Amino acid sequence: MTAPPPPVPPLSRRALLGAGAGLALAGLAPGGTWAEAGPRRGGRIRVAGIASSTADTLDPAKGGLSTDYTRHYMAYGGLTEYGPGLVPMPALAEALDTSDQTLWRLALRRGVRFHDGTPFGAADVVYSLLRHKDPATASKVRPLAEQFAEVRATGPHEVMVRLAGPNADLPAILAQSHFLVVKDGTKDFSAGIGTGPYRIKSFRPGVGTTVVRNDEYWKPGKPYLDEIELIAIPDEVSRVNALLSGDVQLVMAVNPRSVGRIKASPGHAVLETRSSLYTNLIMRQDGLLPTGNPDFVLAMKHLLDRDLIRRALFRNYATVANDHPIPPWHPYFRDDLPQRAFDPEKARFHLRRAGLEGLRLPIYASPAAEGSVDMASVLQEHAAQVGLRLAVNRMPSDGYWSSHWMKHPLTFGNTNPRPTADLVFSLFYKSDAPWNESAWKDERFDRLLVEARGEADPARRKELYGEMQGLVHAGCGVGIPVFITLIDGHDRRLGGLRPVALGGFMGYAFAEHVWWGA
Amino acid sequence: MAGTADMAAGTGGAATALRLVLKRLGAGLVTMLLVSAVVFTVSSLLPGDAAQETLGQSATPEAVAALRQQYGLDRPAPERYLRWLGGLAAGDPGRSLVANMPVAEVIAGRLPNSLLLAGLTAAVSVPLALLVGILSAMRQDSRLDRGLNIATLAMVALPEFLVATLAVLAFSVELRLLPSIAMVKAGAGWGETLRSLAMPVMTLSVVVVAQMARMTRAAVIAQLGQPYVEMARLKGLGPARVVFAHVLPNAVGPIVNAMALSLSYLLGGAIIVETIFNYPGLASLMVNAVASRDMPLLQACAMVFCGAYLLLVLAADVVAILANPRIRQG
Amino acid sequence: MTDAAAPLARTGAPLAWARSLPLTGKLGLALVLLWLAVAALGPALAPHAVGAFVSPEVFARPGAAHWLGTDYLGRDVLSRLLSGARYTVGLALAAALLASGTGTALALLAAVGGRWLDEGLSRLMDTLISIPSKIFALVLVAAFGSSLPLLLLVAAVTYVPGAYRIARSMAVGLYQMDYVQVARARGEGRLYVARAEILPNMVGPLLADFGLRFVFIVLLLSGLSFLGLGVQPPDADLGSLVRENISGLPEGASAILAPALAIASLTVGANLLIDAVSGKGRR
Repeated sequence: MTAPPPPVPPLSRRALLGAGAGLALAGLAPGGTWAEAGPRRGGRIRVAGIASSTADTLDPAKGGLSTDYTRHYMAYGGLTEYGPGLVPMPALAEALDTSDQTLWRLALRRGVRFHDGTPFGAADVVYSLLRHKDPATASKVRPLAEQFAEVRATGPHEVMVRLAGPNADLPAILAQSHFLVVKDGTKDFSAGIGTGPYRIKSFRPGVGTTVVRNDEYWKPGKPYLDEIELIAIPDEVSRVNALLSGDVQLVMAVNPRSVGRIKASPGHAVLETRSSLYTNLIMRQDGLLPTGNPDFVLAMKHLLDRDLIRRALFRNYATVANDHPIPPWHPYFRDDLPQRAFDPEKARFHLRRAGLEGLRLPIYASPAAEGSVDMASVLQEHAAQVGLRLAVNRMPSDGYWSSHWMKHPLTFGNTNPRPTADLVFSLFYKSDAPWNESAWKDERFDRLLVEARGEADPARRKELYGEMQGLVHAGCGVGIPVFITLIDGHDRRLGGLRPVALGGFMGYAFAEHVWWGA
Repeated sequence: MAGTADMAAGTGGAATALRLVLKRLGAGLVTMLLVSAVVFTVSSLLPGDAAQETLGQSATPEAVAALRQQYGLDRPAPERYLRWLGGLAAGDPGRSLVANMPVAEVIAGRLPNSLLLAGLTAAVSVPLALLVGILSAMRQDSRLDRGLNIATLAMVALPEFLVATLAVLAFSVELRLLPSIAMVKAGAGWGETLRSLAMPVMTLSVVVVAQMARMTRAAVIAQLGQPYVEMARLKGLGPARVVFAHVLPNAVGPIVNAMALSLSYLLGGAIIVETIFNYPGLASLMVNAVASRDMPLLQACAMVFCGAYLLLVLAADVVAILANPRIRQG
Repeated sequence: MTDAAAPLARTGAPLAWARSLPLTGKLGLALVLLWLAVAALGPALAPHAVGAFVSPEVFARPGAAHWLGTDYLGRDVLSRLLSGARYTVGLALAAALLASGTGTALALLAAVGGRWLDEGLSRLMDTLISIPSKIFALVLVAAFGSSLPLLLLVAAVTYVPGAYRIARSMAVGLYQMDYVQVARARGEGRLYVARAEILPNMVGPLLADFGLRFVFIVLLLSGLSFLGLGVQPPDADLGSLVRENISGLPEGASAILAPALAIASLTVGANLLIDAVSGKGRR
């Protein structure tokens, strides 16, 4: 029961999934991070996320903001869910079996009912998965859903999924909020009918969501709270003030500069979550741009003052990164790759070799990409000393992703944590990936990626992902200075919080795990 | 024209005011048409459209195309505008693209909040501004005048967001007297509502009082220098009597105008206060609409702000005319 | 002899004028002159480059090394303040002049120019004013990117209608005055009447309005910085300096107090001066 999580996802092995299920059911986590008093039923809390707007939705496929993901995890249940270390655990699917990572059989949990009383079954799963492929759904994960070649009910509680190619990570993919299960045939999501731990009591886009406990939730004893009100306070200072004045009990995305205030308050604490979130410098490799010159790329990577960025921008709530997207605590992290350091002399050398000294380039940053404006300022300051003149263009968040990100030779991007190495590499680094930010093309990388995806042996996978990290580190037009630590602030009476590396609020899924200890 | 206006003035301010109201309704329609055209033109300069902004960072060309069709964005822009205009003329402001519900419903959820905030702020700031303005004008150049002057100046000397944040730090975090976020709950009593709106109202009042008080003072002082005031004084009238019976009616034009301007700020200009106190009003709805390129919603917000402004200035002009029929307002 | 005396008299005149101001006026003048000087010379006086990371300590207290402490990234607050003042002073001054000048000119035209001109101008101003300024600014900056001319334009356009309405209501009132009607009856041209009979009688309130308009433009610019618009980094106007250091507010960091005091002294100073001057004009 209390065994530490396996170092690599158990994926398709029924036995390990079963063990994980016991862990989740007991509501206990290894490491003793649960509050001393233990779970307790009842209570009402108010929680503040970062942003909400009229685009707020109860359709899991359309979820675009962290507040959406949080709301969806309250109302809906998933086939799988993330356990400690992002290991996928069974949820509505009791088991996921495969022998070739292509053909998967899902055995569904029986006796689960939607909030309106309808029994949950195979048809709901088929509908929930296939709707992402329909352009009219406007699903955010449509590129991922394209690999569902066939999804078919093989019994009232059994579903067969045939993938277009082998993918050992399917259980991890299905735990994302977008793949939460909705009722067969649902077109209007305003009522939020799911199998999740809470029922929607009221939902007003751009204002707030109130949910009440689902007494029929299939996990015994859960959830604990009577009611949760989810709002969003976009201004960080206001958000922390709301926490400290007792108006909300849990807030997301605390600025490192506010941590001191929260820690100084006797009734409050912070929850640190080391994650693979990063804000990265993008140097476009296509066309005849100076940023496509390999020496320019190396010069810029050597100009990133990672220590200063970690210390000044993030007050040490960050981990130095090595220009590839896999963080040091990841099971597939390659530890023999030398850490690239801030080195103006090397930068000058590469710049000279590229013949680009005295070059003047605009660099685009935006509050939309966390910390990028300050990173651009740091870069500008250091670049000036080696004869590279960068003009910082701070763009408003509004329209940044559609009009500036990846559209200029030098821009900044921001990549949220992904549950698997395959996902982040497939979405952001593969030659034909939709968000291959720097338009980097490497055939060997692409081949390794497909091979690793279908590989079931963890040791071999680690080797393959290790080589890919080396390729990105050396050649890709992306500079990753640090991984940003996520910080939530909470009332000390709120029990059951623990970090989940996917995002704040326990990977947005805190609602079913926390209790009010007052 | 001049002759008829003079005749109307002769029959009294009420008749002039009535004619003015009728004329203004016509002019107001022209203004609203102009506003919608400006909003449409300027917003069509914005990069991206509702489909792209909805999908955000995860937009792919196929997904955008599909959503565009769903939103009706595949039609040419002028056609969409005319269609919207036609709908509005028929009393239907259309559907919000992003929220996927009638615009009227979305607005109805926010407008009462904005009106409440603006109304409370006006109730606090207008009497205060009049008091400060008239008092300092009557005691011109006295110590009181200078003190009030510096006090009103100091009130606008700090950025709004700083004032609001300071207020939260003092009254919510330290003293725990007032809630840091202004949540208006359905069914909440007046006491609770007032308490949760106290700081937003205070912040907004700080912003608008100075302008109104100073214009009041300037307008009153300008009249105090006129010969008819000398005459009234010579007749032996007390200073208060002179101000209220003779000066104010003549000074009322600029005063109510300044007030109309300041008060119209309370709806659309409350964006910072709405953001800091997390108050669901119309200004943040409009910013939402801009960010999500939700044209029907954006237009509707613009229409509401424009209508409110027009009503305020109309009221100001009516008051000015009723107080002083000699003025013919255009 | 006379040629040599003339400049002397000219240099003597402002001094005498300054001496004749009331105490508050003198204070206002001093503050305004101080800020004009900072705007002109500030960048040259700054001990550090505006974007230089000079200290590992953030929100440091004022000390010998950094007279006004360090900001949220460990940059020198004094240097950033000295370099940033010119944006606030320059932009706000230019925008206020543009707004008040344009507004007053249009108002005079409307008052004397006949019904249709008045009607047309009034509709145009109503249109401009009824679009919330900060949201208008958000849209323009999203469409065209943030630049100094754009900020100037936004600020001016935002405040022209206000200046126009206040000036027009005074001008229309004055136009009804007997002495103006007498001048019209004398056969004076409309523009002459506007310039010689109406304008001089509006100067006092207009100056008071200009002073507040300047304040509001300074505050609009800092409000825009709250919404993420403004001068491009590493430079920052005074409002942006307050905004970017807001997390230092609870600890009372000098990085936020200094620019806040700067804004306050600039706006209060400008208004005290304007008050004194418009008061003198009336007497």
